[in-house]
Amino acid sequence: MKILVADDSKLARLSLIKIVKELEPHCEMIEAENGQVAVEKFQENAPSVVFLDLTMPIMDGYEALEKIIEMNPKAQVVVVTADIQSQAQAQVMALGAKMVIPKPISSEKMQTVLQQLVF
Amino acid sequence: MVKRVEFSGDHLDVLRELMNIAVGNATASIADLLKAFGTMHIPNITISDIKGLKQYIQETIPSQSSHYVTKQLFGGPLGGEFIFVITDEAAINLGNHLYDVDAPNDADIYDAVIELTNILSATMISRLTEELNVKVQFFVPSTQIIKGNDLIYLEETLLYSQIIIISTQMEFQNQNINGHIFILTKDAMIQSLKDLIDQKLEELYA
Repeated sequence: MKILVADDSKLARLSLIKIVKELEPHCEMIEAENGQVAVEKFQENAPSVVFLDLTMPIMDGYEALEKIIEMNPKAQVVVVTADIQSQAQAQVMALGAKMVIPKPISSEKMQTVLQQLVF
Repeated sequence: MVKRVEFSGDHLDVLRELMNIAVGNATASIADLLKAFGTMHIPNITISDIKGLKQYIQETIPSQSSHYVTKQLFGGPLGGEFIFVITDEAAINLGNHLYDVDAPNDADIYDAVIELTNILSATMISRLTEELNVKVQFFVPSTQIIKGNDLIYLEETLLYSQIIIISTQMEFQNQNINGHIFILTKDAMIQSLKDLIDQKLEELYA
């Protein structure tokens, strides 16, 4: 199973990868440092799940989400964001995100998220 | 002479991500207060000296406007200064919005700016320090109206040799309210911040 993690922060990517690997050791983790790279890596790798930050340089998470959903309307995109405003959450859900989780993410929360996704 | 503390790319990345979380929390708190939707900006982090800080402020803050400048000190294992800068026009809009009146008086505007700064500093600094596993104490903020962008006074320049500037912007476009936030920390506190980030990195790589 491939999981794409898109975040401009190396800390955020490593933290998330560490948590996922503890829960799902056999996952192949793919990293992207901005929305544009995320879209390219989504196209190349067809990951089962995308963890996507919103506030990123070059291409933000909103635009990347739109492009990913355009490529695959059934893509499982989980938005991981520090923007906890309800309007931001509603906006990404309307764009096709499967769920939105606030940063920083805990192991317990990730377990719940992975259980809700379809592999 | 005070020894300069060097930050690696990893240190800056950690600080930027922690600030991103802090700004997210603060934006949501202000959005609740204003009953509006705000835009978050990626925090910019720069290590500088007082000359660099003055230049940074001149490049960031418009020189032709008057500004309400609110400064609040915080202290403890991590200490520094939180500065919120808002143009007088945006401050009046804030007063309008919070007090629901067309022409808020000066006291209302001051009060609104102080209240906003309190929420911003408490939310942002508390979130940052929570992530770094420390607690800080906040001091009473003070607001001044300053013409132009000369926010750092002569007597303050003597206090700083090395400064971390954490700068971001908060925008509530529909309400015409936006402001600049600067968090400054210096000298021994920079070393303290670096040590706390090292602990965070050790946890990550453990």
